[in-house]
Amino acid sequence: MVTALSGDQPPVVMSHKDLNFIHVRQGGLYWVASTKTDASPFTIIEFLNRLAALTKDYCGSLCEKSVRMNFALIYELLDEMVDYGYIQTTSTDILKNFIQTEAVTSKPFSLFDLSNVGLFGAETQQSKVAPSAAATRPIMSHRSEQGGKNEIFVDVVERISVVIGSNGVLMKADVEGEIRVKCYLPTCSEMRIGLNEEFSIGKSQLRGYGMAVRVDECSFHQAVKLDEFDTYRILKVCPSQGEQTLMQYQLSDELPCAPPFRLFPTVEKDYGNRLLIFLKLRCDLPPKSTALNVSVTVPVPKSSLSLSQELSSPDQTADLQLKNKAILWSIPRFPGGAQLSALFKVEVPGLSSASLLEVGPVSMSFELPKHTCTGLQIRFLRLSPTHPGLSQRWVRYVTHSDSYTIRI
Amino acid sequence: MGHDDLKEMLDSNKDSLKLEAMKRIVAMIARGKNASDLFPAVVKNVACKNIEVKKLVYVYLVRYAEEQQDLALLSISTFQRGLKDPNQLIRASALRVLSSIRVTIIVPIMMLAIKEAASDMSPYVRKTAAHAIPKLYSLDPEQKDQLIEVIEKLLADKTTLVAGSVVMAFEEVCPERIDLIHKNYRKLCNLLIDVEEWGQVVIINMLTRYARTQFLNPNINEGGEKAFYGSDDEDDDDEEKKAEAAALAKRKPYVMDPDHRLLLRNTKPLLQSRNAAVVMAVAQLYFHLAPKAEVGVIAKALVRLMRSHSEVQYVVLQNVATMTIKRRGMFEPYLKSFYIRSTDPTQIKILKLEVLTNLANETNISTILREFQTYIKSMDKDFVAATIQAIGRCATNIGEVRDTCLNGLVQLLSNRDELVVAESVVVIKKLLQMQPEQHSDIIKHMAKLTDNIQVPMARASILWLIGEYCEHVPKIAPDVLRKMAKSFTNEEDIVKLQILNLAAKLYLTNSKQTKLLTQYVLNLAKYDQNYDIRDRARFIRQLIVPTDKSGALSKYAKKLFLALKPAPVLESPFKDRDHFQLGSLSHLLNAKAGGYQELPDWPESAPDPSVRNVEVKDSVRAGGTVTLRGRAPGGQACGVFLSSDQSSGEEQKRNRKVVKERRSGSESESEEESESESSESESESEEESESDTDIKKKKKTIAPSSSVRMYELLHRITGEGLAVEYCFSRQPFSPDPHMVAVQIQFTNNTSSETKSLHIEDPKLQSGMRIKEFPEIGQDFLLPAGESVNVVMGIDFCDSTQAANFQLCTHTRKFFVSIQPPVGELMVPAFLTENEFKKEQGQLMGMNEISEKLNLGEKCQSDHAIVERVTAKANLSRVPCGSEKENRFAGKTVSSGSLVLVTVARKEGGGAQLTVNCEKMVIGTMLVKDILQALTQ
Repeated sequence: MVTALSGDQPPVVMSHKDLNFIHVRQGGLYWVASTKTDASPFTIIEFLNRLAALTKDYCGSLCEKSVRMNFALIYELLDEMVDYGYIQTTSTDILKNFIQTEAVTSKPFSLFDLSNVGLFGAETQQSKVAPSAAATRPIMSHRSEQGGKNEIFVDVVERISVVIGSNGVLMKADVEGEIRVKCYLPTCSEMRIGLNEEFSIGKSQLRGYGMAVRVDECSFHQAVKLDEFDTYRILKVCPSQGEQTLMQYQLSDELPCAPPFRLFPTVEKDYGNRLLIFLKLRCDLPPKSTALNVSVTVPVPKSSLSLSQELSSPDQTADLQLKNKAILWSIPRFPGGAQLSALFKVEVPGLSSASLLEVGPVSMSFELPKHTCTGLQIRFLRLSPTHPGLSQRWVRYVTHSDSYTIRI
Repeated sequence: MGHDDLKEMLDSNKDSLKLEAMKRIVAMIARGKNASDLFPAVVKNVACKNIEVKKLVYVYLVRYAEEQQDLALLSISTFQRGLKDPNQLIRASALRVLSSIRVTIIVPIMMLAIKEAASDMSPYVRKTAAHAIPKLYSLDPEQKDQLIEVIEKLLADKTTLVAGSVVMAFEEVCPERIDLIHKNYRKLCNLLIDVEEWGQVVIINMLTRYARTQFLNPNINEGGEKAFYGSDDEDDDDEEKKAEAAALAKRKPYVMDPDHRLLLRNTKPLLQSRNAAVVMAVAQLYFHLAPKAEVGVIAKALVRLMRSHSEVQYVVLQNVATMTIKRRGMFEPYLKSFYIRSTDPTQIKILKLEVLTNLANETNISTILREFQTYIKSMDKDFVAATIQAIGRCATNIGEVRDTCLNGLVQLLSNRDELVVAESVVVIKKLLQMQPEQHSDIIKHMAKLTDNIQVPMARASILWLIGEYCEHVPKIAPDVLRKMAKSFTNEEDIVKLQILNLAAKLYLTNSKQTKLLTQYVLNLAKYDQNYDIRDRARFIRQLIVPTDKSGALSKYAKKLFLALKPAPVLESPFKDRDHFQLGSLSHLLNAKAGGYQELPDWPESAPDPSVRNVEVKDSVRAGGTVTLRGRAPGGQACGVFLSSDQSSGEEQKRNRKVVKERRSGSESESEEESESESSESESESEEESESDTDIKKKKKTIAPSSSVRMYELLHRITGEGLAVEYCFSRQPFSPDPHMVAVQIQFTNNTSSETKSLHIEDPKLQSGMRIKEFPEIGQDFLLPAGESVNVVMGIDFCDSTQAANFQLCTHTRKFFVSIQPPVGELMVPAFLTENEFKKEQGQLMGMNEISEKLNLGEKCQSDHAIVERVTAKANLSRVPCGSEKENRFAGKTVSSGSLVLVTVARKEGGGAQLTVNCEKMVIGTMLVKDILQALTQ
């Protein structure tokens, strides 16, 4: 039936006779809805996304194991959310009045978990920033645990996409960011989040004297109160339990600082059938910052056979992926201001000058913890009135690469 | 196989064992295992006290009731009992499960239950009733007429909670009964923004259809809308347009119906919604209903959606692709947003390409082509092929760049990647067909490619080109045929067919050189394995080789083979998709999905707009009301309790506006009509003022949740004709959540006007704060006999101290004070039973106050206790396992301290009242108040 699956990207909507299947992919799981009638596909996709988010909120993490352990809970959730195919509610606040079953969490014990799992599940060495295990706890579990901590996480997550031309000119740059809150406070008091005072929206507006933090567009979650936003750049919100996105913003076409990576490539034809690719990669982040999990993909001619490489340090790796016809160079850790170089010799039978054209464009992926490309910072995070009992507040920043392309 | 262990656990007395068993059974269902043999053991537990067990039993029951009808009937009585429960949640859940049991015998029971629930006091139960309607309909379509009655009743409901659900039921059961909507149209438009998001989607889609039947096409005077944006098929409908224009000249100028405008105005803010489904619903509404000049607003919102998950992007792009064909101009400013990223999945890339191609015009084509050039380098082959096709389409649509594109494509022919070359050949073939004379060198170049290129489709295309334009390459063509004859047997079928075609065409034009070659090829084809090729050979031979038997047709062979062929139209696969309603599943599939409702065409002349007029009754007088509309934090939970006067007040305003607009805007209408309308509205307002006071009384008695006690602030005698009353509306005060909302009603009993009502000189205890109502303006006059409502906020600092201040009019000042009853200093808090117990455990000792009491005669039942306690204090109920206890929870407004109240009934009318609160003063006073309420 699922013959339409082509490669790794099945079509979002599939139909078989009168039955239509709509799916989304989250947490490595397929969330599929089926419908016979003409329901709005947006509603279904949006609902599946919410369902995935709620499952994550209730079960702690989103993976096959947690779903398998919590069938009863998920059934109960679905039962409250959908009535005979009609969506009743997806609001955490309402649902928590109904849901009775408690989540079973899997707590695999391994040394790896203790030391090395970092922000957003990625493997980092910066994991001391925040207790990551806490952030993947089900929101409802504190009900039974007497010593449940009152914690609140505020994450500033940015995704950067950049295109750098072959002459080194920045051709396109976009940043999409969002402020996410994950809240474990049992009763919700008001929270105030102060952003940089010189934060400005749009091209005309300028605030403060120093470097303005500028974005093009900004949208807010409906629960955010903005009465102090115009003057003091303070977001006020009463967060409900679970995860929600308070603010989304975009910046297009211009970056306040240099793009994080610069590449200086040289591609040459060796005598014989060898292609020499010499790459110099510079990280333009401030010296205190570090990029993690950097990987560089260099497409090579179709007929490439083998690769020999010279890399500057042993923790880096590079290999030729014959399936994609590309060299994958990975650098686990790349401090700001540093420069790395690599020499790749590729064996290409029948090498001609036309083959040189098949090299590039280079694409990169990376993660920049504790760094935002727009410069957005959280000045303060206050809960008012001060919450009784210890409430712990965490602020985390991270920038991911969305698509980082350097043309050769 | 038996599940004896599970059965044993279900039969045990311990809830924990039952729960464990139910969890295992649900897990079995989830894995797709059959658990139906456990039905008798499970159904016994339907009346289990433990709510966790109970809910899982419900899940099981709904799944298997259809298979075990007889046994399922045993559970029905439990639900019937549940339908009468004082707790709204239990009533709703009983109805939900009862209506999900698909057993035809209980249809009459379900019908009765739905009817009763439809007039339930609680909007939550009414909402559940609306959900139950389509379930019953699918079980027994015979019930349609009765169900429509229920739908009609629920459509009139004024709460936002019900609106979405009943429209869903309407769409399912009787979408053709558009007449049911007339009277509710304006109300639905006005409620829309407060309805929960899933309901919004359904309502907007329904209203789109409604508007298409009731209003005139706003673009009617613009002529064919395509002309403006310059689309490719202008020529086709020129004549139509002329006819249309002639018709237009006779038509009177278009005036938009105010109701049409209302819909557009009220949906626009929803473009900001965080729910993609809502944004898309509004976008399609604007696309289908708005005047051309206003449609542009949706572009930005849709572009914003493209930053969402890739699945959402996919569906948005499908819709954008359709829109760009009709209204290209609207997305042009966002061209860059459709540029492709290396991380996009292929299907998104291809859709973006589609949009970019649709957006291409003379001004931006050079940018777009440059962008396309970089895409050709991509590693994703499907995408490269699609890019080449896109270049071809740009070239056909925009004459100026045809040569540039062609040259670019010819360069691609030297690409090392065969797929790229093949795709280019196919596209070049299509382009050349449009103007072959000028491009014989390109054809020559392509002829050379036959030696290298192996992709069958590309080889076939080249052969076709050479055959078709053999006059342009008279020397090369026979040579190509020679080579092809050599390799004929090894070619793919499509290539063989084109070799035959090439041979036939050459035979007709250049028989001297190619006669023998053609014979040879035809002979090879005669013995081919494929019957298509054998057929083709036989057919060609009869046509072109003259024999004595050959008929009259051979004379026309040249005309048949070398007729001028029309150039192919390279058009978007999204062309004409817009006959499906955008945003629908059918549009996405480009095929009608089950239950798709066609979007009707605009009517020729407008149906009577007066059908939407509503007689206004049963609402508090609210002319010119200054109501601060508090948006409840946390959304629907509080939305349930929003009393109806807000919406009806608004509606009334709206009605007035409509009347006004009609008066000014409908000059073209006959005067008679507008007169009758204005007199109608006058009579309405008379009726209102008469019944005004009655209604207030009625309200107090009907709904306990919305009944509010009015207190006097200023008597009309001391106020010299100005009477002021206030009440605690129990709605959150939106400017400051730590304040108690106080609704104040001014009534002018004098014979002259009162001006500039405001507050001065508040004398407050330390810490207390006042947020005044906005001064009702110097210009505002409170005419004689009228009244007005305002809302102010007071932070009482959780004390019952009075707030003193001066109330000023333009002539006088009055000293007044507002003293809150202790029960108004709190807001409901939603806790679960466990949370309640936990919190209570932390508020013992000094914080706990307990009193024994004897319940009053009328207050023995659960229902009465709940009613009295919630009337006295603004608390919410907490679910409770024990039948003898009632629990309530709230938080003080100012400091957010928890207030927990427990009423435990005992034998013989006695009871124990316990209040746990950190603030001892509040606790003590609350005990006193509740005690008094319960003993009366």
